[in-house]
Amino acid sequence: MQVGLSTKNAPSIWVVVPHFLIGTVSFLLASLFVVFNYEDLLGYHINGHVLAIAHLMILGWVSMIIFGALYQLIPVVMQVKLYSEKLAIITLVSLVIGLFFLIAAFLGYKFQLTNNFIVGGSLVIFAIILFAINTLLSALSSDEKSISKLYIAAAGGYLLLTVLMGLFIPINLTYNLLPLAHTQLMTTHIILGLAGWFLMLVIGVAAKLMPMFLIVHRTKENLLKWGFYLINGGIIVIFVTTFISGTPYLLNQISFISILAGFVLFLFFNYDVFSHRMRRKLDIGMKLSAIGLTMFAVSILSFVALYFSNGVFGLAVGRLEILAGLMLVYGFFTGLILGQTYKTLPFIIWLFYYQKLVGKQKVPLVADLYSDRLAEIHMYSFLLSIVLFVIGLLFSIKIVLLIAALAMLFTSLVYGFNVYKMIFHRKQRVNA
Amino acid sequence: MIQENITEEEAKVYEVLKQVPDPEVAVNIVDLGLIYKVIKNDDAKTLDVDVTLSTPGCPVGDTIIHHIETVLQNNFPEHAILVELVWEPTWNPDMISDEGREELNA
Repeated sequence: MQVGLSTKNAPSIWVVVPHFLIGTVSFLLASLFVVFNYEDLLGYHINGHVLAIAHLMILGWVSMIIFGALYQLIPVVMQVKLYSEKLAIITLVSLVIGLFFLIAAFLGYKFQLTNNFIVGGSLVIFAIILFAINTLLSALSSDEKSISKLYIAAAGGYLLLTVLMGLFIPINLTYNLLPLAHTQLMTTHIILGLAGWFLMLVIGVAAKLMPMFLIVHRTKENLLKWGFYLINGGIIVIFVTTFISGTPYLLNQISFISILAGFVLFLFFNYDVFSHRMRRKLDIGMKLSAIGLTMFAVSILSFVALYFSNGVFGLAVGRLEILAGLMLVYGFFTGLILGQTYKTLPFIIWLFYYQKLVGKQKVPLVADLYSDRLAEIHMYSFLLSIVLFVIGLLFSIKIVLLIAALAMLFTSLVYGFNVYKMIFHRKQRVNA
Repeated sequence: MIQENITEEEAKVYEVLKQVPDPEVAVNIVDLGLIYKVIKNDDAKTLDVDVTLSTPGCPVGDTIIHHIETVLQNNFPEHAILVELVWEPTWNPDMISDEGREELNA
């Protein structure tokens, strides 16, 4: 094998593709839930339907695609084979069954520890632990020294910490092991999960892929190095001080600003990459990714408003939380996933069908596996849904929220059709 | 193209290699500047090609090399083909030809 080639390290199509399929179905289901329960978005966030939607989006859609995409990208970023494909399959099965029980529990409106919660929660946690182990062991077996690998390995560590913290909360509530406010524990749990796991992972992957796809050579990697120190410093201080009583509020605020500053540096890194790209014309995948990154900047502002105030423009904190979460999970993560789907999924399908045929017969290009036109259409409906969600939530206009929900459903349907087109691609023979 | 003083025969090899595209960007590998060296020895019947990739870990690297081997075998069946992946000098976007730049943004 020639050094530096990742194709031979590439995982089996059967490991990656089911994640995209199940992720897309989850996105579709979550959109349907939003259409039928759009009025709930205006209420306080602890509501069975909103929690079902949030978990379908975070676990079924975002995490599912991230898991599948990362299995495909570990060989690219770390130049090593995924530690275990069997572990990846067990993770997938456990996550899907766990998610099913968890959604059933949320829709049941019971906030006691029902059997559905116990079974669903345990399976999801089990899946997440397996995934983190698989990622960390892959990172450990790689000799590659890059900022991308550092971020991804740290993200794997934070994922484990997030799960442990999530387990500790109900145990502490029941047995009162430490005299800590559970809201404080919950805040730390969310910061670990969002900043430590999701965002560190996204930064790690984007640090490698953005310059690669846009053809940029000299990147401002120092921004990412400083970002790493700022984000980790902030998270560690917040985590440690959760368990120390009487921590000055100012220290928490400084840590929070430190984390945000790290994310701002990541945005500057991307701005620099986009500005210096050799590939001036953006394809649909990169356009959607750019929208996602812009939404990230908006979600940072939403979180700042949430953290430093008890309400903005007279808004209840509950609604501000939904707005901030929506911008992050829907605007940023969904935008980035919609875009990066077109940069990852067609490759593994194309390699599966055509790798052995190149040179022997004319084969289609990677971009021929999906409809560019359909992708453009769902880009605009996605943008429309974001704008309408923001207006509907800020000004409590139900009809606007309904149209936003329908635009989201339309986006998921069109995107779903394109994913279907890629996954169930029929081998073509292109005439020369 | 970073190779200097190529023979007419080697120029023909470069032309043949233009049939090989990078499947992601749909621009041929010669105009992308990925071919560093072509040595065609008609006496020894060997054809050596040094190729690089835009980044280590490039997901289509293996496919590109396979494509090069197939195309060269088809066009120069008498020659033993040896395609070597090299990392020195490190590829950079300045190596893309003017034609490649145009195609990239077409």
